[in-house]
Amino acid sequence: MREAASSEVTRVAAATSSQDPEVGLAAVAALRGLVEVLEAVQVEHARANGWSWQAIAARLGVTKQAVHQKYAGRRFGFRR
Amino acid sequence: MLDEQTRRILELARDEAEAFGHRYLGPEHVVLGMLRDPTGGAARLLRARGVDLDAARAALRRLAEQGIVPAPRPSDAELLGMLGIDLETVRRNAEQAFGAVALGRAIREATRARRGGVGRVPRTPLRGPPVFTVQALYHAGEHAKAKGRGQVNAELLLLGVVTDARSPWPRCMSNRWNRQLRTSVGLPAGYQGAAGPLLVALGVDLDELGDAVALELAGAER
Repeated sequence: MREAASSEVTRVAAATSSQDPEVGLAAVAALRGLVEVLEAVQVEHARANGWSWQAIAARLGVTKQAVHQKYAGRRFGFRR
Repeated sequence: MLDEQTRRILELARDEAEAFGHRYLGPEHVVLGMLRDPTGGAARLLRARGVDLDAARAALRRLAEQGIVPAPRPSDAELLGMLGIDLETVRRNAEQAFGAVALGRAIREATRARRGGVGRVPRTPLRGPPVFTVQALYHAGEHAKAKGRGQVNAELLLLGVVTDARSPWPRCMSNRWNRQLRTSVGLPAGYQGAAGPLLVALGVDLDELGDAVALELAGAER
């Protein structure tokens, strides 16, 4: 049952590829979900190593304010 | 809180959801999980009402055709694979570099609701599928408490699922963030668990089933 359903899904995915907006957009959404986590883990690591918001923002190619607004929250273990 | 059999049922429910191509876990999958475990009292109560695994799977397929639950869709790993990205490699590398704890923290950070909605994602492939069985488990726990039991067993879980199917979800569960999470896995906006529609499609009277489970539990006490 499990194998059958899974191979069915794979076949559908392969047949339509990203030509089908349904699949292509879902793939992009999955990729964004991945990117956001990798960015968060890298930013936290950089902060823990004493990097400034300015330096992090420069490497990410965004403004200092953008990174600060996104990550300088209370919940993330950056600073009190 | 949950006994071993109940935990196994939830595992089997995950398995059923995945096999169906559902990228979330709902109470409807818990019903399938119960039927997968033939030793359970919950399965016996369902079978006594003419519900078996094959019929339940077919009924879920019909619900998908009616748009009550989503049709099968590719998994995140399959979607990323089409882009040439191996999800497991990404996860392994990130975990090796930063540790599972830091990765878990980053996952929570990336998927939490943010003021102004800056760079937020409802879910990430690095976390398991979203779970919509919270209400059913809550009801099961309340029933357990009311009956003076420390653990939720299979019958109490079934009672929780039936109670959940008969009562609306609290308003907080349909805030914008949760709605976005539901649509991201293909669920209709008004989804409140599909165990009710599933059992009704199988010819089960929810009131009668609820009473029967309660009776069975009361009988076990004596």
